[in-house]
Amino acid sequence: MSWNKHGRLHDIITWPEREEVDKYVYTPGLHGLELAKALMDGRILGMRCSDGKVYVPPKTFCPDYGQGELVEVKGPWRLQYYTVVYENLYGNRLEKPVVVGVIKPDDAVNGIIHIVNADPSKVYVGMELRPVFRPKEQRRGVITDIQYFEPA
Amino acid sequence: MGMVTNLFVKDRVAIVGAGITTFMRRALETSRELAWEAARMALDQAGLTLKDVDCVVIGSAPDTFDGVHLKGEYLADGSGAIRKPMTRVFVGGGTGVFVPVSAWWHVASGLCKTVLAVGEEKMSPAHPHPQYVFRYIWDPIIHRPLEPNLIWIFAMEMRRYMAKCGAKKEDIALVSVKNKRNALDNPAAQVAANITVDDVLKSEVLVWPVQELDVSPVTDGAAALVITSENVARQVTDSPVWIEGVGFTLDNQHWENRELAFPRYLNYAARMAYRMAGIERPWKEIDVAEPYDPFDYKELHHIEGLMLARPCEAWKLLKEGYFNRDGELPTSPSGGLLGVGNPIAAAGVMKVAELFWQLRYEAGKRQVKRPVHRAVANAWGDLMQAGTVIVLGN
Amino acid sequence: MSVTKLPGTKLSSKEMYSLPGLVESAPQAKYDFSAGPTISRFLQGLKEGKILGRKCPRCGRIYVPPRDYCEYCHVALTDWVEVPDTGTVHTAVVSYISVRRERLEKPEVIGVIRLDVPGYPPNSYEFAGLFHRLCVPPEEAMSDEVIGMKVRARWKPKEQRTGSILDIECFEPVR
Repeated sequence: MSWNKHGRLHDIITWPEREEVDKYVYTPGLHGLELAKALMDGRILGMRCSDGKVYVPPKTFCPDYGQGELVEVKGPWRLQYYTVVYENLYGNRLEKPVVVGVIKPDDAVNGIIHIVNADPSKVYVGMELRPVFRPKEQRRGVITDIQYFEPA
Repeated sequence: MGMVTNLFVKDRVAIVGAGITTFMRRALETSRELAWEAARMALDQAGLTLKDVDCVVIGSAPDTFDGVHLKGEYLADGSGAIRKPMTRVFVGGGTGVFVPVSAWWHVASGLCKTVLAVGEEKMSPAHPHPQYVFRYIWDPIIHRPLEPNLIWIFAMEMRRYMAKCGAKKEDIALVSVKNKRNALDNPAAQVAANITVDDVLKSEVLVWPVQELDVSPVTDGAAALVITSENVARQVTDSPVWIEGVGFTLDNQHWENRELAFPRYLNYAARMAYRMAGIERPWKEIDVAEPYDPFDYKELHHIEGLMLARPCEAWKLLKEGYFNRDGELPTSPSGGLLGVGNPIAAAGVMKVAELFWQLRYEAGKRQVKRPVHRAVANAWGDLMQAGTVIVLGN
Repeated sequence: MSVTKLPGTKLSSKEMYSLPGLVESAPQAKYDFSAGPTISRFLQGLKEGKILGRKCPRCGRIYVPPRDYCEYCHVALTDWVEVPDTGTVHTAVVSYISVRRERLEKPEVIGVIRLDVPGYPPNSYEFAGLFHRLCVPPEEAMSDEVIGMKVRARWKPKEQRTGSILDIECFEPVR
């Protein structure tokens, strides 16, 4: 390698470049489609596998590679882990800090990541929460159809 | 077929199961689900379950197609790779054959006994058109200011092949006709059709000399293989298909510094695979081949690179019907990429799966009309760089 | 395989866009590519109206576009040499589609030009060359005579050169 340019960055030419596609369109998948329809209805689905455990969200195949059956997940939901976020993706300070956590229903073995609408000083691991859905006309079948979780 | 004594490897390696999904322009399934569907089918055919799998090899092309980076990790649970040793391999389009090659050395080294090898591709999420993503593989300084479309390089290769070897567009179009017709018997096929040379010559001119029907389509799909050591293979099936030779080579990215009429990188990879398999005259000893055919002239190019025909002779043999399913050396009996579809990384796995079924005489209507004992498949990728070859035998 | 119905669910474009749960997102990746010391020098040469190649001190091969090390000897390349901006056409094609797969108003003629760089025998597999536009009309590009035709670089006027591969406008036939 020609290392004769060590430390001399001013005569290296750089070339700016933009992103490579306009947008990505992601399909929900086989069970994702069922989950989407359920979310628009205000329900959350999980999948029960052959070992009797329920996983949420439903993923089309189980850890043992077979298929499971779709069941509705009713809760109660509890906060399993959480963190408090003060800055957005670009490093700008948020007006109000946001609590983000993994919220697990009692009738499933894992949880989903979502926003907790509560005062950061008042949240604790194990606190009971309840999902709050957006108004029916605003739901599109995505995870943000649940606006946030709030203390039950 | 004589037993090839493996002086260099610990275990003989066999393919015992294969699975593919339908190849389609856009799939409802997410990438993970496509991988799972193909892998599930392969395991079912082999009569094995996920518990029997020791290691997993995943092959998938640029993350920028389906817009989920860290694709190996994303596909991992769909490919049964959770809590198992997992390797992701990637050499552009060459990945398809590189996946079984990589699985081969996992078993041949004695590290794993049963490997699930999955190739998957979901190209449809990229908008406005997945072809735009290929723009990202060009050199940013020397090539991209000219705003090249990927098809430009294929057109340049095709032109050079035509000029150097005297082949005409009508001669080369016969590959498209043959493969699309072969694909009519393939349930996975996306663009199977009964077309004529005239249809090809009348299709839209994209980059002269490349026209619309010379090109394979954008596809979502997945294919999987189950590859095991000799002991496991003998317990699982009566007719394992042995991997007798593997080869892979990479050339530099400066395709503007090379003679484009002959794929040197493929030739080196083929020599490596033939030497391992003990094949000295491939044009006589290979019974069926699946050369990589994203474009019609590419099949001829690769046939010559694989030494199944002399340089510049393949198009003449094609005219005589030499490469038809009922010919002397059938090529692309599955329908190839031109007939079945081109999900970048999964296409090569599809070809190996086809040869697997051909060598077991299980290909149904696609079965070639002559006895088959040795087969070769190749894939090719990157900027005219990567050549991967696999030789199979029964 | 004995199954006739393979897994997989096809969607038409209309069906996909009416799916509930569809997520669209646009990436925000921006990049600043460094040309590196070698290509930067090459681009400076283009700005001055010269095509520069780099020579291996051991085997004498001249690389265009220049590299940092010799592919065969694996030693660092050192000397810069100016190479002639003339060559022969290795291959040429006519493009009717843009990089975004849309129809172009005017077709573009591009090709690979084998430069007249000493050290490569006439029919060698490898040579020094460039990928660039050709200033010939499309009909001529499709004829048999264009392969092997002698060409020379047509440079942009000095004020318009910025240090990029586009400082050469195209390669035109030497008539």
